Amino acid sequence: MLSAFTLHQPVSVTEASEMLRHYGDDAAIYAGGTELLVLMKERLVHFAHLIDIKQIPGLSSIAVDDAAGSMSIGSLASHRALERSPLIRERAPLLAEVESQVANIRVRNAGTIGGNLCFAEPHSDPATLFVAWDAHFTLASAGGSRTVAAADFFTGLLETAREPDELLTGIDLPLLPSGAGSSYQRFKTHERPAAAAAATLWVEDGRIRDARLVAGSVGIGPERLPATEEMIKGQEPDATLFARAAELAAASVFIEEEGFESAEYKRHLIGVLMKRALAQAAERAAS
Amino acid sequence: MTNHTYTPGGESIGRNVPRIDARAKATGETVYAGDLQIPGMTYGKLLRSPYAHARIRSIDTSAAKALPGVVAVLIGEDVLDINPYYGHAIKDRPLIAIDRVRFAGEPVAAVAAESLAIAADAVELIEVEYDPLQTVISIDEALAADAPHLHVTQLLKKGLFHGLGDFNLDPGNVCYHHSFARGDADAVFAGADIVVEGEYTFPGIYQYAMETHTTIASWNPLQDEVQLWSNCQHPFLVRAEIADLFGLPQNNVRITVPWLGGGFGSKSYTKMEPITVALARKARRPVRIANMVDESMVTTRRHGMNAWMRTAARSDGTLLAREVRAWFDTGAYADNGPRVVATGADAAPGPYRWEAVKVDSWGVYTNTSSAGSYRAFGASHLQWAGELQIDQIGRQCGLDGLQIRERNLLTPGEYVRPGGKPLDADLIGDIRQAAANLGWGTPKPDNVGRGLSVGLLAAGAHPVSTAFCRMEADGTVTVYGSSTDMGQGVRTVYTQIMAQELALPVSRIRVIGGDTQITPYDRSTGASRSTTLAGMAVKRAGGELRQQLLDIASREFGLPPDALEIRDAAVWHEDESRSFPDLIKAHFGMVGGELIGRGEVRPEQGSGSYAEGPVFWEVCIGGIELEVDQDTGKVRLLKTASVADVGKAINPDQVEIQEMGGIMQGLGNALWEEMLFDPQTGQLLNSTLFDYHIPTFGDLAVEHASSIVENEDGPGPYGSKGVGEGSLAGAIAAVATALYDAGVTIDQLPATPERIWRAMQKERME
Repeated sequence: MLSAFTLHQPVSVTEASEMLRHYGDDAAIYAGGTELLVLMKERLVHFAHLIDIKQIPGLSSIAVDDAAGSMSIGSLASHRALERSPLIRERAPLLAEVESQVANIRVRNAGTIGGNLCFAEPHSDPATLFVAWDAHFTLASAGGSRTVAAADFFTGLLETAREPDELLTGIDLPLLPSGAGSSYQRFKTHERPAAAAAATLWVEDGRIRDARLVAGSVGIGPERLPATEEMIKGQEPDATLFARAAELAAASVFIEEEGFESAEYKRHLIGVLMKRALAQAAERAAS
Repeated sequence: MTNHTYTPGGESIGRNVPRIDARAKATGETVYAGDLQIPGMTYGKLLRSPYAHARIRSIDTSAAKALPGVVAVLIGEDVLDINPYYGHAIKDRPLIAIDRVRFAGEPVAAVAAESLAIAADAVELIEVEYDPLQTVISIDEALAADAPHLHVTQLLKKGLFHGLGDFNLDPGNVCYHHSFARGDADAVFAGADIVVEGEYTFPGIYQYAMETHTTIASWNPLQDEVQLWSNCQHPFLVRAEIADLFGLPQNNVRITVPWLGGGFGSKSYTKMEPITVALARKARRPVRIANMVDESMVTTRRHGMNAWMRTAARSDGTLLAREVRAWFDTGAYADNGPRVVATGADAAPGPYRWEAVKVDSWGVYTNTSSAGSYRAFGASHLQWAGELQIDQIGRQCGLDGLQIRERNLLTPGEYVRPGGKPLDADLIGDIRQAAANLGWGTPKPDNVGRGLSVGLLAAGAHPVSTAFCRMEADGTVTVYGSSTDMGQGVRTVYTQIMAQELALPVSRIRVIGGDTQITPYDRSTGASRSTTLAGMAVKRAGGELRQQLLDIASREFGLPPDALEIRDAAVWHEDESRSFPDLIKAHFGMVGGELIGRGEVRPEQGSGSYAEGPVFWEVCIGGIELEVDQDTGKVRLLKTASVADVGKAINPDQVEIQEMGGIMQGLGNALWEEMLFDPQTGQLLNSTLFDYHIPTFGDLAVEHASSIVENEDGPGPYGSKGVGEGSLAGAIAAVATALYDAGVTIDQLPATPERIWRAMQKERME
């Protein structure tokens, strides 16, 4: 049962930012509403003012800049739009694949990618993927805009680097060059994944030049695994290496005690998923 | 793949008549309880206890009452002018908390307001002071010698429909004990070649229906009349309890039952009706209380269970004896616990030829939400444990799952339990069919398991149903029955039965929903009884009407009735016919009047008691093929097989869909669903569908194969017997046996990936 609130519909980022500054803690940004409205209906949170940013033009575009080697995605693009975008399917098929598995069809139709990232729910699929992909986020306010790396954006449980008067307006996703491959593996028994692992590998001359390995859903946010990345850099991608890497990933990952599965089992799952992610990323890098 | 072994003879029976409710449901026109607007209706909202066990020191409702738009606030002291305790088995539950709460979620106050938002705001303004008491959340805690007692059991009164013999409770937390024994179990176990033994845990499960419990009550103070619109499965039992609680004559209580958006037992017996009536009585306005999902989840659930079981056999695979002890967690109030305990015990030995059996089961009070009926109750709890032990014995004897069952299953006419009805089904034929559907014996990889299961469920409940039908002057017919259509399609089946009896097209027949002031008595909608018993009453009503038509035609033709026949909506003598409207016009002398047929089902011998029953044994067959991820323990379902032993399929499509639905829920019970109560606070931790996974289409097996067995050996119309529950219990057990075949011995459900992974770890260590 929703309590009463006032809905504001700004038509520019500046206007939205000013409203956020004006109402402070009494306001929340409302885009897809798939997280916010659930909490408000349950009366777990209450905001007297909802700033509906869906009227701001230009925030749901999807485009590729070949010169820059990147894709830009507007924050108001729905999960469903990303899942079905021919451009994403062609140029970043893994993102389409991951988006097609987010939550359920109703959430994917209404929920936006920006809302998902700003809510910083630790089980977010795209958040984990974007850290492994070294995506950058654009934050804008009445005072200007700035860019933050995905890995720096997620600062804690349900916490981000976004200032209260800032809007996440877009995502900059580097397109993987030939010789690079990425994979996202998750394990799920309920609505949210119990564990996830994302791996991006850059392979040159039969050796791993660079790697970004991320564990998701088991901690307070996406967690990069630098020791495991270091272990595989310069090595030949093979099953033995990946088994050792997966073991290290499982041993080093931070596990938050919550949910249905035990910490021990989630740690085990990270190992299994990381091994599978590494194998698939290497396979994609080679193809 | 569907094997229909029966060729339909009639025009309507055995045909896939489309559901009469399909169009309205698909277009959203169906009116459910929550769609009804009663003039002057207010909106109710409940304040529920955050404590699992506490004394209520004080309740301050002044701020809530002062909120504009609040019509009434109800608390325990408002119902002290009546005896506010109810419960069809045991009168242990106050309709609203009185001085004490016994589970987290128990209603402590109820607000009626002009809008739901106002009611919700008002609930937040009610101040309650609690003195927390020691809780007993688990069965073990409840049975401990120093456990606090939830009830003064010696003082509890038997409910109106206890139905299970003597009622005499010892002090403590046990609300019911059921036991039986045959043969000398100890001696047989001592001399057996093989004994398998295990302890088993079954979770509390919510009978998730899309539509939550929704009740509208209206109290007319001038005449002391109560009218209810409630999505209940058993309107006549609810009527009796409401009349009893509020001291009203039964004919002053009217319950109208709209279409239900699923029941599965969650809406059986009395649930939200008493508190809604009490609030309407105080408000002097109609009021609607509609649960949210988390509220329905603490309104009723399936019993959690702990059990110990052992089975003895000879080395050649001949089964000898089984001994079972099971403790069922019925929560804070008994609800249907005693009957669940009794049927669970009866189903525990399984349909095998034993030299000795010894079964004890207990219903145990705990400080959790109360547990009642859920589709296939009884068989669901212990069939999986029993069937797992059968396969464990089989493996030791070198017999596969089919061979050991063929060797030991009962045959028709043998006794299932001491006394009562002997077996009325061909179980060996059924299990062979299930095995065939599963591709039994074909090669498969090591990480793939195939499992069979067979069990029996005491079905039918008390055999009392009545029905009548009216034929209007134009020859159309309306059927009056009180079985609730909760998605199982019972109104369509009654249409077919009446069409068959009167040789009418189904389009000429209308079936109206249950309304205790209009439709005649039916004991309940559950226990797979609606086609078998209420359907038989409908058939008899149609038969009586048919006889009236023949009698009128006999006068008109000047011929004895046996020279006449009914076909094609008319009475015929050779090639001369009189239509039904013609006959009615001849009878009444005008284009008017109507004929009324009446049908009744009651015990054919004895009193129809549980001990003398059941009406029939519902067959619970399961067949599953699954693959286990060796790294994670995750199960992928490859194939499900079902065998519906229904005597006669009145509507084969509906039988098959019932089977599929039962399997789907059975998979949920076996693999995913589990209500998690905080061991300290007793609060339900997974009260939303985020955290409580019910099966979705994506969870179903890659393939499904079903068969319908029609031996016309049921007590229902045309030799039918009920369906819809057996496949649920069968599926749970087949998951357990399939996992065993894949190398995983599970002793706790649901078989989550983590539990399977741990079982595999253990196996690898050994």
